[in-house]
Amino acid sequence: MKLKKLLTQSMISIDLQGTNKEEIIGELLDILMKTGKVSDRDLAFADLMNRERQMSTGMQFGVAIPHAKTKAVKELFACIGVHKTGIEFDAFDEKLSRIFIMTLSPVDRTGPHVQFLAEISMVLKSKDARSKLLQAETAKEALAVFGL
Amino acid sequence: MAHEMMILVLQLGLILLFARLSGWFFSRILNQPQVLGELIAGMIIGPYLLGSINIPVLHGPLFPLSGGTIPVSPELYGFAVLGSIVLLFTSGLETDLPTFIKFSGKGSVVGLGGIIVSFFLGSGITVLLNPAVDSMMHPTALFLGTISTATSVGITARILSEKRKLSTPEGVTILAAAVLDDVLSIVLLSVVVGMSAALAGSSMSWGNIGIVAVKAIGFWLICTVIGILIAPLITQKLKLFDSLDLIAGLAFGMALILAGISEMFELAMIIGAYIVGLSFSRTDVAHEIRERIQGVYNFLVPVFFCVMGMMVDFSAMRSVFWFGLAFAAVGFIGKLIGCGLPALLVGFNIRGAIRIGAGMLPRGEVTLIIAGVGLSSGAIGPDMFGVAIMTMLFASIASPPLLIKSFKGGSGYRKSLDKEGKDVVSIELAFPGYRAAEFMRRSLAEGFREEGFFIHRLDHNRLVYQLRQNDIIFTLIQEQEKLIINTAPDNEPFIRLMMMEKLLEFKDFLSGLESMKSPDMMGAELMKGIFSLEED
Repeated sequence: MKLKKLLTQSMISIDLQGTNKEEIIGELLDILMKTGKVSDRDLAFADLMNRERQMSTGMQFGVAIPHAKTKAVKELFACIGVHKTGIEFDAFDEKLSRIFIMTLSPVDRTGPHVQFLAEISMVLKSKDARSKLLQAETAKEALAVFGL
Repeated sequence: MAHEMMILVLQLGLILLFARLSGWFFSRILNQPQVLGELIAGMIIGPYLLGSINIPVLHGPLFPLSGGTIPVSPELYGFAVLGSIVLLFTSGLETDLPTFIKFSGKGSVVGLGGIIVSFFLGSGITVLLNPAVDSMMHPTALFLGTISTATSVGITARILSEKRKLSTPEGVTILAAAVLDDVLSIVLLSVVVGMSAALAGSSMSWGNIGIVAVKAIGFWLICTVIGILIAPLITQKLKLFDSLDLIAGLAFGMALILAGISEMFELAMIIGAYIVGLSFSRTDVAHEIRERIQGVYNFLVPVFFCVMGMMVDFSAMRSVFWFGLAFAAVGFIGKLIGCGLPALLVGFNIRGAIRIGAGMLPRGEVTLIIAGVGLSSGAIGPDMFGVAIMTMLFASIASPPLLIKSFKGGSGYRKSLDKEGKDVVSIELAFPGYRAAEFMRRSLAEGFREEGFFIHRLDHNRLVYQLRQNDIIFTLIQEQEKLIINTAPDNEPFIRLMMMEKLLEFKDFLSGLESMKSPDMMGAELMKGIFSLEED
């Protein structure tokens, strides 16, 4: 239900162009800006980068989950991006990151925010789902991987 | 009117004083169930003993015998009825449906066996020893049969938990069987109430009995299924009000309304209250509701037990004393055989079967409620009510030592129980000290609360917490400098992610501490402030 509301075709990019962590995060943030509900791009960017400095969100198998709590949003927002060749994201397993799931959640609101992030990441636990997402040629195909 | 109200508040005041003190004395000093203390307080201060003494300023006794089927005033009885509704609402709320469902196979066989055997033994001996009761269809026989079916697992659960035997195969089987027992004896009560209401008018054909039974079971089933399905939706909506007090109040209001509706359908009121409690037991706010109802519970439930004690007419009991003893003994045997034999069939050995039989022996609240309903509807007289009280006293006093004795020695299961706990993963984190672990525990709890979880402490002696949000349940334990989270594998990634986030906050907090100006200097400033007043 919530997944369907948050993840629409406009929240997907199947061809990220950035060449480093900052550019990728900026690109993903620009997707979220399209909702018109991120009040302060600079603040959101700073909060995301700050979280990366504490510990990189690059996980295993080319999946990264940049996320932050920020005053720039009043509710949860999420987007998904794919980079065809992969970039260096300081991943946990030292491999290049190719799949990015980004969430921004409000600082002082109660809600299943971390849980939401965990749920989308869970879909990518299977190798099959990951390779389908990487091969997706349209946003629609990418959404189908998440059953949407 | 003013006089009646004055008497009522005096009665309630005296009941609370005596019932609470006597309850405390029984539980803390004599190590007996609190209920017994409250019940006995009622016997002593009630209309058949001290309560009948004339008090000059009142122009009569404080607890005058009222004429009807019940010996206390209708106003006071009203409070007792309210107490029974609170009691059954909370026991519904506390019902552990998932455990029941998990062990329902063995539990059902054991619980069902106990109910069938005790019902027929109980009503059988009533017909056999009482010339006035001519058939098993007689309301008195039906009620006494029902009275002997109810198990009060509270006493067993307390003993097994103290002896750390609650999670043995016997322990879980007893618990599951007791849930079924509660439900079935309440359904049985509704059937019996309906039947005796119909019997009062005319003779009863098997066809009529069938209609009554179908109506009672139908009402029960329909309300329970609807309740369990819609309670989570209702809570979801009620959460929008952002007030747990309001949710608790509304839930209790619904319990009262369904109690009234059950009575409208000629079923006992407590059935409605139990169904509403049971429905909310599956929601994540069950513990919050339970906590908020506790104040009402502490006030009304002792009133209920005390008033039940007041109904014991000692002179009426004299004539049925021997029957009472025989009935209590048969009730004992009924549970031992009725639960023990089926236990043998589902894999327990003789030792295990005796343990399970002994665990199902105690009688308590439900027995009293059934007897109270019988007395107020006129289906049983004060003599048979006394028999019910005797049975309850006998079972409650005799079963704990028997239970403790039976649990000594080896396993009661013929083969080792399949590891039920294997689908649980444990995540452990060790910290440099107790304080650090405590800090982390609190900030984790805060994080989960922000995610919409409800947290409640399971064990007041240890740091064990249950965290729950809709269907996600897990436990958080702190053991000295270690934090342990036990959860189903599905929730593991989420919990790990949350722990990582909180660990980062912890790291942030530590580096913040390092940048703080020297604690020594801060301490010195604080010290200076203590004596600053004296300086000038």
